[in-house]
Formats: sequence, structure tokens, C-alpha cells
Amino acid sequence: MPNILASRSARIGTAIAVAMSAVMIAAGQKQALVIGVITGAGYGLVALGLVLIYKSSGVFNFAQGEFGTVAVFALFALHDQMGVPLVPAMLLSLGASALMALATERLIIRPLFNAPRVTLLVATAGVALLAISLELWLGEARARYLQPALGRLDRLSIFDVQVSDQRLLVLAALLLLAVLLGLFFSRTTLGLAILGVSQEPVATELMGISVKRLSSFIWALTGVLAGIAGMLTAPVAGGFTPGFLTSTALIPGFAAAVLGGMTSLPGAFVGGVVVGVAQSLAVSAPIFYENIPGPGAVMVFVLLLVVLALRPQGLLGKSS
Amino acid sequence: MSLDARGSGGVPQVESVEAPPVVEGAVAEAIAVEHTPAPFRPSMAGWFVRGAVMAAIAAIVLLLPATKGAVDVHIYTQAVIFAIIGLSLNVLLGYTGQISLGHQAFVGIGAFTSAYMVTVHRQPFIAGVGMAMIIGGLQALVLGAVSLRITGLYFALITLAYGTMAEESLFNIQSLTGGSAGQPAPKPAGFTTDLRYYYLCLAFLAAVVWVDWRLMRTKGGRALSAIRENPRVAATFGTDVKVYTLLAFVVAGVFAGLGGALLAHNDTFVVRDLFNFQLALVFVIMTVVGGLRNRAGVVIGSAFFGLVTLFFEKLFTNGLDIPGIKLLPKEYAAIVIGPMLLLFTLTRHPGGMGQQIRPLQRWLRGGRFSFKDTHDDEVRVSDVRA
Repeated sequence: MPNILASRSARIGTAIAVAMSAVMIAAGQKQALVIGVITGAGYGLVALGLVLIYKSSGVFNFAQGEFGTVAVFALFALHDQMGVPLVPAMLLSLGASALMALATERLIIRPLFNAPRVTLLVATAGVALLAISLELWLGEARARYLQPALGRLDRLSIFDVQVSDQRLLVLAALLLLAVLLGLFFSRTTLGLAILGVSQEPVATELMGISVKRLSSFIWALTGVLAGIAGMLTAPVAGGFTPGFLTSTALIPGFAAAVLGGMTSLPGAFVGGVVVGVAQSLAVSAPIFYENIPGPGAVMVFVLLLVVLALRPQGLLGKSS
Repeated sequence: MSLDARGSGGVPQVESVEAPPVVEGAVAEAIAVEHTPAPFRPSMAGWFVRGAVMAAIAAIVLLLPATKGAVDVHIYTQAVIFAIIGLSLNVLLGYTGQISLGHQAFVGIGAFTSAYMVTVHRQPFIAGVGMAMIIGGLQALVLGAVSLRITGLYFALITLAYGTMAEESLFNIQSLTGGSAGQPAPKPAGFTTDLRYYYLCLAFLAAVVWVDWRLMRTKGGRALSAIRENPRVAATFGTDVKVYTLLAFVVAGVFAGLGGALLAHNDTFVVRDLFNFQLALVFVIMTVVGGLRNRAGVVIGSAFFGLVTLFFEKLFTNGLDIPGIKLLPKEYAAIVIGPMLLLFTLTRHPGGMGQQIRPLQRWLRGGRFSFKDTHDDEVRVSDVRA
């Protein structure tokens, strides 16, 4: 993934991540570090989708979390209840979230194409609420448990921290996905076309590329990304309720995307890890959780506020 | 940019005889004056019918709850309080063009402040409500200061994170809010029955509508209209953008604090779980569906979302319960119907309910009844600043 390593934002991000790791290991917060990195990778995946949509449609997509929750519910229904084998069930669930993303694009985003961006934001928030309420209606407001794909807890430890197989799987899958996406955006025609659309839609259209079709493809892709994030993190999170990914990952995902300046794809991913580690530190460090209730939410809010107030172009983004 | 670009949009309001209540702006008025035809005056019988319709509306609002049980009145009161909250959000969304996705925090802070004053400090109800309005205004002032620097989509993001932080952190401070157990908030002396409390809330709503109406007629109100249209041009003409934006935030915060306090005492108990993300979205939806910058529309839209649970209860107990089909439980009615209405409003009728009731409003004020009035450029969602 040459372009990812060459990216300036990725270098700054990696530097920040390394510095944070060093501080946390020195402060005896290894547990928070390891858990934070893995949670953060999930945020990064959500953030990636948010940035992709922002670059292609100029929308803050508040329904991103729900695309993922739909996949989690579909996987639960197919695999845990109907007994469909895991891999086909996962593929079908990803199909469900891609379908939902496509429907959102067709029914909501396209009719509002000329509307101001904030109108679109309210509309996507409406889609998210509709999805949550349908889940509540059909699935009731109780927590469900998704069986982890891998069950053993004691196979490996990182920095003396026991890491469950499922968490390892999450990390491996996310890293693999990051590499694949990096290759996709640098090596394939489709990926380059998407980058083109996000930078110069008119010029891309003139080169004979259908911007509308690409827009549909991007929405489906982000649906799949959110679906993967949801399916991988749901077993680790314990249980899932209606609105699962919206309540756990949407705001951190946005914070991560903002850290990357809302434009940089590797920046969004690294930003996710930074947010994950910061949040995990807030939850597990005694000086935070003994004095502040709900330290995770406070940390994300403060992080978002500070970054937007001091560096609106993002911690990792280029100033324009 | 207008939502209506392919249809009726872009037509200035040339035909309007009288300026609608919320419409400000020297240009629109100048055009109206130039083209004013001979004003239409209804006959005596016409005035009588209009008076009768107004009396009927007043009678429904004032007398209908008196004939209902306490459970229903509790929900009517909730609808009245939602109208206050809707007007509060209308100040931000409609007048300043700043979107707040964390309005449940505004309302929740009011609710917990009043409950804290009344229950922990044994203060009278009026002190609780007053303090809720003060604290509500102060926290809105702080958020307003943030909005001066961070605008548009990013400000929406900030308010979203702010709402979540309030829900998970502020409302969990054991000594102030009672933590997850919640805080009792008894009804005030003299208004202990649901019906009396309903009239009290109605009086507060009338006061809020009056204050909102008068404020928008002041220099500050006109300044806000100018800022929303174009902050830079407004600043060039000597309008202090910062001061008036902050003022609007304070007004919204005071209204929301009042709404929260009334909500707390209506339920006689405040729990933090009420003030979740879904509630914030319902607030935004009811204001947008009601019709931004249209006071009557916002009141009707908000009251509708306050009443939705009641409609559903009646609907299902009167025989629509088909066995075997999973029916919509009433507690989710607002959040299932709401987004559908919102998306419909956004894509088809950007003026919301305010746009739909405009012919009736005109007619009641002594104008002609005309369905053509419904496409009104002055009330549209799309003006929210990005």
C-alpha cells in the first residue's frame, strides 16, 4: 500500500499513535491501549464510510451507523436463529446493508440533490431514526447476543494483555480491509474514478464516467463497510440493541473523520484508532472515571470541540 | 438554492395583501406595497363565520381536556410543552439557521434544574422554573459562542456530541440528578390536578408565543432575519452578527429550559433515559415538519408529535387490532411516523404544516380563502445555513 505510507496525514497520524502508545505503556494503561486500538479500528471503518460519502455527495451521513446495525440484525436472524452457515449469512447480511444504503441514496439523497447540505443532514438523521424505530418495532428494545466467530480467549496476549480471538479477528480483518481499500483506490480504475469524482465531479463526468452510477456504488460500498464494522464489533461489545452502531460508533466515527479533516481516507482510519485509544483511556484511567461520569462521551466531545475549534482542517488533514 | 427549483419556487410573494406574521424583510414589503390591489374585506357574515371558527378552535383547546380523564390530559399537557420546545428549536433552526441535534440536552438541563431546586432545595415551583430558564439560557450562551466559530455541518456534529455527553455524563451526576434513579418533581401547589396543570402550561405557551412574536418584531428580530439571509451582507450594514446570534441562542435556551421544567413537573419525575438521541431527533423533526419560521405551524407540528401516542392508543383499542400482525406499539409511534413525515416534508413540501395551513390562516385574518397560497417561499427548510 504505497500511497497510504506515502501520505503525509498517515505519517503524522502514525507519529501521534506511536507517541500515545508510548505514554500509555509508561503510564501502565496497556489494557486500555490494546482494547482502544481494536475498538478504534472499528471506528476507523465507520469514519472511512463517512469520508467517502462526504467526498462524493457532500453529505454528513448520519445513517451510516444504521447501515451497520441492519447487517448485525440480519446476521443474527440468519445465523443465530435460522441456522444459515456463517459465511453465506455474513454475505447476505452485507447485501442487506448495501441494499439499505442504495435505497437511501435513491430515495432520499438524489431527490434532494440540489438542496442545502444541512437539509440532507436532517434527512439522513431521519433515515437513521426510521431504521432505529423499525428495529425497535420489529425487534423490541432488548439486548441480543451475537455468537463470536472464534471463541477462545487465551491464545495470545499482547503486552501481557489477554486478547480474545474475536478481537484478534477484528484487528486482522480491519487491517486486511485497510490494505485492500488502499490497493482499490490506487490500483483499480473504479477506485481512481471514485477519487476523481470526489475531487472534480464535472471533470470526471467529462471523462465519460457516470457520476450517478459511481455515487450509487460508493453508497453501496459504505453500506458494506459499515456492515463489516457492525458484524465484527457486535460480538466483542457484548450485546447489541436497536440502534447499536449509531449509539456506539457514529459520534466517535465522525470525530475520527474530523481528525482526518473529513477528506483523507487513511487519515480517517488512523483518526479512528486515535479516538478509540483516547476513549478507552478515559474509561479505564482512574483519574477520569472517578471524577467524571460517562468519561468516554466527554472525551469524544472535548476531542471534537478542540479539533474543530483549533484545527478545522483536521489534525491530520492538509490546510487548504 | 431552493428545494422547489423544479416547481413553483423562485416566485416572489407579489400577490400577498398582508405580510404573513413571520415575514420580515424590507424588499418583500416594498414589492407588496407596489402591487397592492384594492384590499379584500369580508362581509359581516364573513366576519361572523371567521369568529365562529376561531371560537371553535379555542373551545377545543380550552374545553376538550376538561371532558377527558387524567391520563389523556397528561398527554395533552405534553403536547403543549412540546409546542414550547418546538418554538425554542424554531428560534435556532428557523431564525438563526443553526441546527441543533442536541436539543434534548437543552430540555433535559431545564428539567433537572427545576427538579433539583424543588426537591433538593425545597424551593417553590416558580423558583425552579426561573432557575431552569436561567441555566438553560446560560448553557445555550456557551454553545452559541462555539457556533460563532464552528458553523453548518460541523456545528450540527458538535451539538450531537454535546447531547450525547449531556445524556451520558451531565445527567449522571448523582448529587444533581439522582443518577439512574431519577429525581422527583412534584406539581406546584394549586395546580396539582392534571387539568389545572394543563391550563398552567397553556398559559406558559401563550406567553412564549407572545414573547417570540414580539421579539421577532424588534430590531433584534429583524437583525436575525438579515443574518440568516446573508451574514456578511448583514455585517456590512452594521448588524452585530455575534451579539444577535448569541441573543437568539439565549432565547432558545430560555424557552427550552422552561419546556424542560414543565415537562419534569408534568411527569412528576425526571429520569435521564428520557433525554436520548431519539428525542433530540423527534424535536428536530417536529419543528421541520411543522414548518420553520411559522409559529402556528411549529405549534401544530409539535403538538401533533406530543399527541401521537394518544392517537395510537385510541386507534388500536377501537378495533384496528388485527391478531397475527405485529402492530406498532404506541411508545414507538412518534419515532416511526416522524421520520416518514420528515422525509416526505423534505422531499415534497419544504414549508411543512405551516405551508398547508396558510390558506386557513389568511382566511381567519380576513383575507380570501385560496389554495394558491400554499406555495410560500418564506417558509422553507432549505434556508438552514450550511
